[in-house]
Amino acid sequence: MTPPRGLAGAALLFWGWQTGFLVAGLAMALVIEGRGLVGVRWDLSRADFNRISDVSAVMLALIAVYQVLANDSARAVLGILQWLPLTVFPLVACQLYSTGGVLDASVFFWSLRRRASERPDFPRIPVDLSYPFVALTLLSASAANVRSGVFFAGFAAMAAWGLWHVRPRRYPSVLWALVMAGAVALGWAGQVGIAEGQRALERAVAAWFLELARRETDPYRSSTALGQVGELKLSPRIVLRVETAGKTSPPALLREAAYNVYNAPVWYAVDAPFRGVSPAGDGITWRLGPQEPDAGPVVVSAYLRRGKGMLAAPNGAVQLDDLFVVELARNRLGSLRVEEGLGLVRYGVRYASGASNDPPTRMDLAVPRGEAAAVERVAHELGLAGSPPGDAVASVRAYFRRGFGYSRFVTERAAGVTALEDFLLRTRRGHCEYFATATVLLLRAAGVPARYAVGYAVHEWSALERRYVVRANDAHAWALVWLDGAWRELDTTPPEWVAVERDAVSGFAAGDLWSWAGYLFSRWRWSEREDRISGQVGWLLIPLLALLAWRLYSRRRVTARARGGAGPGAGLPRGRRLGVLRGRARAGGARLSARAGRAAVGVARAHPGRAPTGGRHRATARAARPPLPVPLRSGRAVRRRARGAARAGDGVARRPRGRRAALTPSRRAPAWRRGTGA
Amino acid sequence: MARRFFYRQFRRASRVQWALARRLTPAGRLVAGALLASMVFGPNTRLTVGYQAFTLLLVLLAIGAVCALVPPRRLEVRRRLPRYGTAGEPLTYRVLVCNPGPRSCRGVSILEDFADPRPSFETFATTPEPDESRRNWFDRKVAWHRWAWLVAQNRRLDVAEQPLGDVPPRGQVEITVQAAARARGRVRFRGMTLARPDPLGLVRALRHVPGPETLLVLPRRHPLPPIALPGAQRYQPGGIALASSVGDSEEFMSLREYRPGDPLKRIHWRSSARVGRPVVREYQDEFFVRHGLVLDTFLPAAASDVFEDAVSVAASFAAGVRAQDSLLDLMFVGPEAYVFTAGRGLGHLERMLEVLAEVRPCVDRPFSTLHRLVAERHHALSGVICVFVAWDDARRALVRHLRALDVPALLLLVADEEDARAPDETLAAAGVRRLVRGRIAEELARL
Repeated sequence: MTPPRGLAGAALLFWGWQTGFLVAGLAMALVIEGRGLVGVRWDLSRADFNRISDVSAVMLALIAVYQVLANDSARAVLGILQWLPLTVFPLVACQLYSTGGVLDASVFFWSLRRRASERPDFPRIPVDLSYPFVALTLLSASAANVRSGVFFAGFAAMAAWGLWHVRPRRYPSVLWALVMAGAVALGWAGQVGIAEGQRALERAVAAWFLELARRETDPYRSSTALGQVGELKLSPRIVLRVETAGKTSPPALLREAAYNVYNAPVWYAVDAPFRGVSPAGDGITWRLGPQEPDAGPVVVSAYLRRGKGMLAAPNGAVQLDDLFVVELARNRLGSLRVEEGLGLVRYGVRYASGASNDPPTRMDLAVPRGEAAAVERVAHELGLAGSPPGDAVASVRAYFRRGFGYSRFVTERAAGVTALEDFLLRTRRGHCEYFATATVLLLRAAGVPARYAVGYAVHEWSALERRYVVRANDAHAWALVWLDGAWRELDTTPPEWVAVERDAVSGFAAGDLWSWAGYLFSRWRWSEREDRISGQVGWLLIPLLALLAWRLYSRRRVTARARGGAGPGAGLPRGRRLGVLRGRARAGGARLSARAGRAAVGVARAHPGRAPTGGRHRATARAARPPLPVPLRSGRAVRRRARGAARAGDGVARRPRGRRAALTPSRRAPAWRRGTGA
Repeated sequence: MARRFFYRQFRRASRVQWALARRLTPAGRLVAGALLASMVFGPNTRLTVGYQAFTLLLVLLAIGAVCALVPPRRLEVRRRLPRYGTAGEPLTYRVLVCNPGPRSCRGVSILEDFADPRPSFETFATTPEPDESRRNWFDRKVAWHRWAWLVAQNRRLDVAEQPLGDVPPRGQVEITVQAAARARGRVRFRGMTLARPDPLGLVRALRHVPGPETLLVLPRRHPLPPIALPGAQRYQPGGIALASSVGDSEEFMSLREYRPGDPLKRIHWRSSARVGRPVVREYQDEFFVRHGLVLDTFLPAAASDVFEDAVSVAASFAAGVRAQDSLLDLMFVGPEAYVFTAGRGLGHLERMLEVLAEVRPCVDRPFSTLHRLVAERHHALSGVICVFVAWDDARRALVRHLRALDVPALLLLVADEEDARAPDETLAAAGVRRLVRGRIAEELARL
């Protein structure tokens, strides 16, 4: 069963169109569909096919390694899937241009290869890759995730083309067309239903988790959550890299998220849906507020899982430079989230002191009832009631400097006492979440709007990388306080926490070196310049493919005339004739090349202008060489879409991203859950 | 425990595989494979649009499955099988299809139904496949290769789907079926299945038509050069009559006086009464060549490629003997010890090939059974052709015994080239020729 003429080529073009590898798709389509025009076939042996199969396997392995290193697992799988037609193509092309016309299953399995070499008489398992290749190409096109409906239309058209070719002749064509049209209509409805079903399921699961989280805030069941110290706390993995212009110091704190409602032990970002931010005309500059920056830029490099994640930025950020992402969203608490981007982003942040677009609301003054007693008691001791905001802030700061210490561990507490109450009134020791939460609630009790912020502290200079590095155990929590018309940072955690965390980590030089290497690779991979890696990987593949092409070119070839009436074995069944061509069934043991040469000479005599007398059909052979690799693609689609989005945006704010505006806990896990706790 | 678990899973999986292979056309199999691939790669509708392909493929197969619920129209089919097939050779037979209905039948094909080729658990547990010792630990434990090999052993005939074309109302058509005989033995047909594809050509509607029959596939045979079999003519008790006719007809030569040791049944009572002393009938002594063909069936497993090759070698000798010149005694041990004689009109060589077509390895008796059988008959044999499947002390003892009895012997061992249990120098010392698997035809041609 072979595909109808043109189907494989059309599938390859469709694949190239969908994935952005149009040149590669066109080249492969020309090679595959050109077999009808090229009268040359190669007499490839089993060893040749094995070699080609090995090349395909090596290409697949290289692509897999590259994708795994450059992407997270889900994207790596999709990347490999997109590239599959390229890796299988050499085998398919060689099958189509070989005299046999089929592969032996032994090319795919070492065990079968061994058996085939040991037992030449063992029956072969013929494999025809042509139709599976068409199916593979179409499925690979699906990995491009073009959601305009074009994929479905193209896939349905190709499926109909292939099925028309093998339709049973007992039914009239009209019936076949009607059934096929019905199938396409049902398929379309089904795929819409599946997509909607998944969205509904996700919404239901999200709602269920939210409900679960609410139940966990029950005071009887979640009283110890604040005291937990997670594993990430101890991880020295480098998560951010910070560079500043000249010798200026970076901001001490980089905020990732802020929250306004506390329901022990969870902080929520309530009434703060994310809304899209439109980039400037260049597509990579993002204005976050009307103020003019007076500091920066601070250049931050951060990894994004699956191209999504929160951006760390100093307080008062008003502009992001050189940020290659498709969608950026921001909530009114100042948190920045990338909706679609690359695996690594490197962006400059310009900020202004006193820049704030989101004035406080009543939620920024709320003290939860469960903590009110302890907070009011301390506020009363400090005399916060009625004091000006500046004095209240100074009092709270001074309060935590007296008699409070930093500890990563929380001891048992008495029954009926909340974690915060225990911290404020008994232990006076805790990690950053205790200090930040207590600070926020004390300031609120004093009538000063305050919020809870999480992010990272920047303090470590790396002599290796010549820039500041931020590790996972630099994760930190602090308070934001509304003073003089702006949100300002207030970090009351004793400064000793940095030394404590540093002491907990030692001897990580090798890890840092590895991390740096990974960072350099990622920068190379996600380079802002257009597809630098792709081109280089493509060039690396050229010698490999050139060697393969030369080895195939130098194989024995058989012209169409030799394969037809004038050739050896003419008039025999196909299998026998091929056997004759391969020299197996010849009694005299004459070599094929001699026979093919004689046949070519015969053709030359009959058609002096057509057949080359030297027996080397270079012009025709050239068409069967595997094509040179096209430049590989790295994030090109993302950048293209980023620019397209910038062009289409025209400064109009995007639709709200948050679906649950009423009560939306940040999609980023709370600091305690991430293991922060300085 | 694990072996039984895997056996059950293989059995179930092969049942599903068989059912799918019957139900799905080649295009349907491709669609089903693409459906599985789209399931693997496109479960997340946000990451890829593979789910769109999945949905369309699923709908295509579902439509085909619904159409396949209505079985094809009833037809009467009858095979016309040849008497024998030969392993490794194409086989042609005819099928007569009658349409008893008032409407013509178009686009239906037939699929042959054979007996279940899946091995029993006992066979699965005790029969290693030929390359099993070289497989890795996982493959040996799971034994999928063993399962596949045993199933392939039991599938003796390959018959592709046969399109019927148009069968006119109340008419009949006859089609020629090309089959390939894979292995010797008895092929058991259960019947035929009428198959009709759905409008998209993906799923078949099936109707089983019973028609149990059997066909014997003879062993594969290799051409032999003219062989000067060892040994001279021997006296054959019973004379030429034994070899040329059936029954008690004996060629009488004369009467003579009784000598001690003469059988009583040869006393000619009428002449004895006349002369007053015992007189016996004397028959003409016959001297002609009689060879023994000894097939070694003693293997630890119920099936083996070595054994199949050994049977082929034995069949080659059985078919190559000139039946009018000599006798050939086929000796082997199965459930019991067998001797089958052919040649000089006594028995047909086809019958001997039939016996060889169904011979099975002997796993429950010692080799000495065959040794005893050969030794008992050595006095009548001009020479012996022994086809061994292994080389050990028991076989070596038989060879030594034949030498001691001065029975000329052609000794052949079917083995792999690098069989460490049969080094070349040991075989050469014993006068045994190795027939290397995979090159048996060439090796036989050099005899």
